[in-house]
Amino acid sequence: MPEWFLYFVALPMALLIVASAVYGLYWASQKGQLQDLEEGAKIIFDQEEPIGRATDHILNQPKTAKPLKT
Amino acid sequence: MASSLTASLNPASSPDLAKRAELSAIDASTKAPALYFLGSAVLWLLVGTVFALISSYKLHNPGFLGNIEWLTFGRSRTLHLNAVIYGWSVNASFAVALWLMARLARAELRHVGLLFIAAAFWNLGVTVGMVGIAIGDSTSIEWLEFPTYATPILFVAYALIGAWALITFRFGRAKHIYVSQWYLLAALFWFPWLYSIAQIMLLFEPTRGTVQSLVNWWFAHNVLGLWFTPIGLAAIYYFLPKVLGKPIHSYYLSVLGFWSLAIFYNWAGVHHLIGGPVPVWVQTAGIAASFMMVVPVIVTGLNQHLTLVGAASALKYSPTLRFIVFGGVNYTLTSLAGSLMAMRSWAEITHFTHYTVAHAHHGMYAFFTMVMFGSIYYILPRILLKEWPSAKLISLHFWATAGGITLYVVVMSIAGIQQGLAMNTLPVGADGHAGSPIPFLTVVAHTIQWLELRTIAGVVIAIGHIAFAINFTWMLVKPRQTATSEPTLFRHAPDLEVAR
Repeated sequence: MPEWFLYFVALPMALLIVASAVYGLYWASQKGQLQDLEEGAKIIFDQEEPIGRATDHILNQPKTAKPLKT
Repeated sequence: MASSLTASLNPASSPDLAKRAELSAIDASTKAPALYFLGSAVLWLLVGTVFALISSYKLHNPGFLGNIEWLTFGRSRTLHLNAVIYGWSVNASFAVALWLMARLARAELRHVGLLFIAAAFWNLGVTVGMVGIAIGDSTSIEWLEFPTYATPILFVAYALIGAWALITFRFGRAKHIYVSQWYLLAALFWFPWLYSIAQIMLLFEPTRGTVQSLVNWWFAHNVLGLWFTPIGLAAIYYFLPKVLGKPIHSYYLSVLGFWSLAIFYNWAGVHHLIGGPVPVWVQTAGIAASFMMVVPVIVTGLNQHLTLVGAASALKYSPTLRFIVFGGVNYTLTSLAGSLMAMRSWAEITHFTHYTVAHAHHGMYAFFTMVMFGSIYYILPRILLKEWPSAKLISLHFWATAGGITLYVVVMSIAGIQQGLAMNTLPVGADGHAGSPIPFLTVVAHTIQWLELRTIAGVVIAIGHIAFAINFTWMLVKPRQTATSEPTLFRHAPDLEVAR
């Protein structure tokens, strides 16, 4: 591999990866993605699966639950 | 009587099926490609486990299968690595990533055909690569052993999935980008770059001398840090709050964790070359980056811990949570250990010993693979609309893999430290002058007891994998019961102490 490849292709690419992260951060702040962060945490909940409802039980089901059919 | 009363008091069992349409439709749209990736992942996991056991056994009984060319240590160990990384881990991460992307974008999957082509190309590429290694065409560059005729096939698959992810994101309906989405997008965006640059600089137009080793470790470590870690953390940040029904403790910290990973990680891989023939400033930069990684690691670990506090009793009920929490705790442990290993004084002892092997398995198995198992336990019932057939097999899977990998990491860490100390020791002779070092073969012979324990740990892990594969296959073939054909299963949830 010619040496110029390292300096003119590989190194710029490596720097671009870091630059992509920095640009991503800038873009996010411009779009207001970094505001109101505590609301952001709730985005994965909705009426279907609201906060306060656990969604996964199968091991050691308590007696009140429907027994697992095996 | 008692059960129906509890059921009516429990919000989880109230009849709100009509409202479930949205998530259910999104989950259903991911079914076909997710199953393709997951099915292949499980097959490769079994293949990788077989080669793992063969290689591990060979380390203390070198003659074992020694006269079969394609099962010699150099090939079986390489086949193990590539089967579990590119076969199991990447297939599993594609499945988990596409399911999460669709859910987080709140959009049904578009261009399913694209994903099918990608899945076909990916598994074809892995198969070609595995056969290539078996017939002796390995490139002998760690983490990139697949022969050059396999890699373009893999690259097509990656590019298709990257393009698909951008489309899904672009057409998503969610206004806010959840932290998991950041991780997934970053992983899908970065990886094709890393992979193509490493391929070009190492295999198609190889650089000369030590630059090769720099590129090699820049790539190999970034596969962990910029591909597997973001996917694993994306899964934790989604499933942990979702299973508990409780938002992540500090969303601010999770966002900080993502951006610090994105900005610091890229340099850290050079720490594999500490003490090696590369410029010292590069090594020092690698050490600094490795220590900067303490920031996102502590932030992530603290956040997960604080989210779980007060709701830990759910660990008894949720298979997903067990695997995810085990993985999360080990993410913190293995990352902090990794930062320590970047110290020159520590690397002096552990470099080139079994300690590195322990660390690699700690990260890829105890963290990443366990998180993938947990994710699969959540995803599969929702796309197949069935419950897992056997809770006992899930328990066996968890305890065998968790116990096995813990034994593995402990045993290999001890072996590595002893090995490193012994190799560094220069005993003082009777006359006060330096004596001769401990012969290398004596040091090797001393590790045999630990290597045998490792094989035992491997067998225990393999039992877990067999339990998982049986449950997985059983799940696919068992008939769907009308009573349980709802998008969200296990719905008779006990009243957990969940903070709102």
